[in-house]
Amino acid sequence: MPQLPMTDLTLFLPEIALLSGALCCFIASVADRSYASVWALGTLSAIAALVCSCLTLTFQGEPFAPGIYRIDLFSQFLKLGISGGLWLVQMLSRDDSSLRRFGRLELPFFLLLSGVGMMILVSATELLTLYVGLELAAYGLYISVALRRSLAIAGEAAAKYLLFGAASSAITLYGISLIYGASGTTYLASVVVDGSSLLLLTGFLLMLAGFLFKLALFPFHFWAPDLYQAAPHPVAAFVATVSKIAAVGLLARALSLIGATDAPIGEVFAVLSVASMTLGNLAALRQTDLKRLIGYSAVAQAGYVFLGFEALSTRGVAAALFYALSYGVMSHLAFVVVCAVGRSDKDPSLSDLVGLHRRAPLTAFFLLVAMFSLAGIPPTAGFFGKWLLFAAALERGQYALVLIAAINSTVALYYYLQVVRAAYVTPLPADVERPAEPAVGSQLALKTAGWISSAAMLAIGIYPAPLFELAQRAAAVVLR
Amino acid sequence: MGDLPVLSLLLLMPTAALGLIVILPRTSKLAIKVVSAVSALLTVLLAAEVWWLYDVDGPQYQLQQIVPWLADFGISYHLGVDGPAVLMTLLNALVFLTGTLSMWTLQERVKEYFAFMVTLVIGVFGVFVSLDIFFFFFFYELAVLPMYPLIAVWGSSNKEYAAMKLTLFLMAGSALLFVGLLALYWSSGLRTFDLVALGQHAFDRSFQVAIYPMIYVGFGILAGMFPLHSWSPTGHVAAPTAVSMLHAGVLMKLGAFGIFRIAITLLPEGAKAWADTFAILATVNIVYGAFVALRQTDFKFVIGFSSVSHMGIVLLGLNVLSADGLNGAVFQMFAHGAMTALFFSSVGFIYDQTHCRDIGRFGGLAKQIPIASAFFIIAGLSGMGVPGFASFWAELLVFVGAVRGYPLLGVFAIAGLVISALFMLRVYLRAFFGPPNPEWNQLKEVSAWGALPRAILVCVLLIFGFYPRLALRLIGPTTSLLLRRF
Repeated sequence: MPQLPMTDLTLFLPEIALLSGALCCFIASVADRSYASVWALGTLSAIAALVCSCLTLTFQGEPFAPGIYRIDLFSQFLKLGISGGLWLVQMLSRDDSSLRRFGRLELPFFLLLSGVGMMILVSATELLTLYVGLELAAYGLYISVALRRSLAIAGEAAAKYLLFGAASSAITLYGISLIYGASGTTYLASVVVDGSSLLLLTGFLLMLAGFLFKLALFPFHFWAPDLYQAAPHPVAAFVATVSKIAAVGLLARALSLIGATDAPIGEVFAVLSVASMTLGNLAALRQTDLKRLIGYSAVAQAGYVFLGFEALSTRGVAAALFYALSYGVMSHLAFVVVCAVGRSDKDPSLSDLVGLHRRAPLTAFFLLVAMFSLAGIPPTAGFFGKWLLFAAALERGQYALVLIAAINSTVALYYYLQVVRAAYVTPLPADVERPAEPAVGSQLALKTAGWISSAAMLAIGIYPAPLFELAQRAAAVVLR
Repeated sequence: MGDLPVLSLLLLMPTAALGLIVILPRTSKLAIKVVSAVSALLTVLLAAEVWWLYDVDGPQYQLQQIVPWLADFGISYHLGVDGPAVLMTLLNALVFLTGTLSMWTLQERVKEYFAFMVTLVIGVFGVFVSLDIFFFFFFYELAVLPMYPLIAVWGSSNKEYAAMKLTLFLMAGSALLFVGLLALYWSSGLRTFDLVALGQHAFDRSFQVAIYPMIYVGFGILAGMFPLHSWSPTGHVAAPTAVSMLHAGVLMKLGAFGIFRIAITLLPEGAKAWADTFAILATVNIVYGAFVALRQTDFKFVIGFSSVSHMGIVLLGLNVLSADGLNGAVFQMFAHGAMTALFFSSVGFIYDQTHCRDIGRFGGLAKQIPIASAFFIIAGLSGMGVPGFASFWAELLVFVGAVRGYPLLGVFAIAGLVISALFMLRVYLRAFFGPPNPEWNQLKEVSAWGALPRAILVCVLLIFGFYPRLALRLIGPTTSLLLRRF
């Protein structure tokens, strides 16, 4: 493969691909008003960004101005995840019913723009640039969450998301100002959070608020279940996949600021992690709405990811990055099923899954792989991801923590199996006439997305070495 | 065939079958069954080949194959077998074959059934031949999870409850294992998951004492250890025939095998420190299981609780930590596997026709269906430890070891065996002899094809019963190597 020259422009390629794609989408949505062309443009630009991320994977440099924006293996690794996730989400939205009446023309534009914001987030090495990225990533989502107007609670969910988002980003901004006050700079390269300054430490912890909000970690998770349930299916999928990947990247970057300190940062993280996984899992046990269940499980999964950060080590960050990417794929797969089953703009509940193995064997299979992967069962990626996270946490001798996490994943298995049970075990009542929906089978885009995700899930689960080594190298890069 | 990676083939064979089953359309039921049976037959041949190639006087782990998998993290795809593993792979292949044949009449959702069952078999093979902790655990989990759909979909009586209970119990065990196994990795400082390399490392005594119970209990749950056994009888009862066979025949052995392969091998000091406690619990297993079995009226519950009792013998043997005890324990894993598979296979045959497992409703079955009854009776005799069957030697060895190490417990354990004779004779009396119940007069006798799997298992029990040296030659050298660690 011919090597691209490393110039300011080529370093910026993935961002350029998404940004120009977003603008084209915008123009097409105003001028042409045909959904097919807008969708095709959006998909093309996501694919272009994916290709560009692959091509620039090994690049490094600081285009335009030094110290503000950094291209390295870490950022490109995450951009790979972001653009890949964006593409997969685009595939979901092709025939989506939750958007049919209103707003689907604009959706690709918002998603791509949000994607650009996330790319900026993972590359930014200066606090204000980072903040701009954070806001850019959020605005597109604030709007697109509200696009599903057929559901009464959609407005409530969108308002919650906006208010929580605004509040947490205000806290972040306050934290940034404290960091600036304590260290006199906004360049991350010159900020080291050590034991010397309480102000700096406080600023750092406050800054994390906005990041944790994106990850939906306790206590910043309140918006998540509502949003998952009420947002249009593809938007919820975007929040569950791409947004999560970006949030993990952001936190890894933040972690690189921590220097030698006695401050109990690891312990704070451990508490948040345990609270998040326990709360998410217990709440998920009671859910009957499939999307809401996935929402609570996402809170729990955020807790698992945090096990990696809690370790404050390269291995831990690598585990978190690995898990973030695999988690993106597995929750995407779950949303393939949501989109396939929730065709009539009705939110799929567990009872809608009954008899799925007969009506739509392929959809049922996707669901099985997704749930087993989320539950961490081999040979799926989830198993290896958990193994890495638990191993990283144990490196610091956190026996109790890992035991709690492992017990939590047993609890979680209960509700994941409830979903599988609905699809595979519960017999279809004879008297109830159910429409024999073709489900995934008839929709090419959805079917392709499902195949890609499940194949990726199994491939990563059986041979995790390439992705793991990439994550390991990325983590080594970001942690200086 | 010297250089052929036999153990990898052993894993590939069912994997290929799984791929074929997935590709085949769901309507071609016979083809799916044939694929499963053929691959089972081939695995039996491969297992025999492994046995043939294994040199009992050679080094401990043989037929090794190492491929680095994740060098950075000390994980390698490391296969190899020692004597007990050879025996257990043989058992698994046999149960796979006989289980497939026992399910020949299945009509409902055949494709999914065999897909899940073959996945389970792959997992079990993987555990027996893995010499890397990561892959050991990987296959262990892979073997456990298919039980959920297998019981919940194709099972009977209270199946969804039983399936969920089983899965949650076993996964709780896995939670302990997660911590225990990863602790081994970090604490050794070797940065490897390789069992052979870790085996050369002497762990801190205090570490061993702290971690041993975690790993023992984690695996012990699957081996049906008291007081965490309650998932097992309900699971046995609810599961369809071949799943009961695999479950009691080989899956529960994974737990005991894990204790043998990982807990005792790597943490001998811990094993010594905890031997008393766990020996007492194992004895409770034996006696309690037998007493509860005495009161059951359901065929499968009788066998389920007798399994708890018999697995207690395995656990007691493991905790005696002497040559007799360990040899007996491993032999009992094999013998009990074949015997229980025969039990469930024969009960399955009766249940498929009558849809009734209530012992009180039968009578004189031996007159109505003499051959099918004979299989059950033979299994029962073997369970009682009658000489001539493999279990006799296994149980004898464990009891000899137990009486030497723990005289009091040994006496209790032998008393447990007497009770188990009692409950088995009670079942014989009520269901198989006495006046025939006219309700079942038109029961069909087992066909030659249907008798085949049971006959294979009977032969295995008899061959190893009359010639126990076959097994003990395999087990002995491995256990004496293991005992050198103490």
